[in-house]
Amino acid sequence: MWLLAALVRMQPAAGSQAEDVESLRLVVSGDQAAAAGLYDRHSRGLYSLILRIVGDEREAEDVLQEVFVQAFRQAGRYDASRGVVAAWLLMMARSRAIDRLRARRTRVEGRTGEVQVLNDVPDSQPDVASAMLGEEQTRLVRQALDELPLLQRMAIELAYYEGLSHSEIAQRLEQPLGTVKTRIRLGLLKLRDVLAEGQA
Amino acid sequence: MSTHDELKANGAGYVLGSLDAHEQREFEAHLAGCAECKAEVASLRPLISVLATSVPQVTPRSELRERILGAAAGLKRSGAEVGPQTRPRPHLYALHDRKAPPALVWLPLAAAIVIAVGAGIYALRLQRQMGDLQARFDQEQSAAAVLAAPDLARIDLQGQPVAPDARARALWSRSRGLVFTAANLPPAPPGKAYQVWVVTAQMPISAGLLTTDPTGGGSQYYVTPPDIAPPVAVAVTLEPSGGVPSPTGERYLIGMP
Repeated sequence: MWLLAALVRMQPAAGSQAEDVESLRLVVSGDQAAAAGLYDRHSRGLYSLILRIVGDEREAEDVLQEVFVQAFRQAGRYDASRGVVAAWLLMMARSRAIDRLRARRTRVEGRTGEVQVLNDVPDSQPDVASAMLGEEQTRLVRQALDELPLLQRMAIELAYYEGLSHSEIAQRLEQPLGTVKTRIRLGLLKLRDVLAEGQA
Repeated sequence: MSTHDELKANGAGYVLGSLDAHEQREFEAHLAGCAECKAEVASLRPLISVLATSVPQVTPRSELRERILGAAAGLKRSGAEVGPQTRPRPHLYALHDRKAPPALVWLPLAAAIVIAVGAGIYALRLQRQMGDLQARFDQEQSAAAVLAAPDLARIDLQGQPVAPDARARALWSRSRGLVFTAANLPPAPPGKAYQVWVVTAQMPISAGLLTTDPTGGGSQYYVTPPDIAPPVAVAVTLEPSGGVPSPTGERYLIGMP
């Protein structure tokens, strides 16, 4: 029985930042085992986010491949002052998945020459480092997110997971643009305050 | 030109990546010189990692590992071998090198280990598969997914004589569920609750109960059966607080597609 229990408990290790940074350094010099290590530590989390956004397994697999290829290619340009590796990868995954979703929407709706809504997120935010929250903090924020008024949560989710711009969200909810912006901001401020209380 | 307060409202959208190109440029220019907005953006940024990880966790197919690492290896040196195949397996050699114990002892032991490992791996895989299935299901079921649904239908509801000022809107997707938002409902008396109904040609089907705030507003997400007949109306009635299987009380709101 102990063997069975040990196997069931065996999950991919949650890689530490130091381990990830070292792997990226080795990937630059063509180390395949380091690339495999990064894949093993992060593929599940990245794939889950991508799948949530694009909603199709085949497309999610293509996007996951794009993300890893991009990450391995840009490994030498990774800058730890701009965020931990896990956050860097998640940002790339979200950005590429949303690009895919928007391209599909444009195809389906037959619109061309649409304004590019999303810029390359990592490059447009050079000034602030992003960290991953710890387990307990994540739990607190998740719970607070569930408890937000439905319309606040929905506006945040439409922005993050569906890649809709403020004005698109305003159109869908048939509400003034200002109301949508305020709702999103109030929602995020509430989550931040919960986090601050949790740390105090 | 936007005022500071208008720009400040864009900070959250900036962090979420939901500004359009023009708004983004304008906000970045502002951010460079505004310590207040810079601080707010910095304080909101860590929340994004929670959104990124608060999705149902699904394991990618195992074939994908080889494909992706292969593609990545192709970047550097074409034809290079990848991953675990190239790694030596020292423990296997070690097993051969050691002086073998009599087969009588190790054969049943090896068989037992093989069975135990097999059962363990099977249990692990089964557990993963169950988790993945649940995750796929959860993914389809969210209020935001309803609004992004390709088959989204909108039904506006009008207040009935008992509550002429009440208003509501139902956003419904056959595949993803119902988002219901109401305003100006009178407070439900003690022991009573509002119940939302999807009325089909055959019968009214309960979507669930609706809780209202002190202003008489409320919004709620409901899962609806995907094989439901096309609704001919959506209605809200006042019912005993636990809800009832089919409507008995006064109608407060009704709307037709």
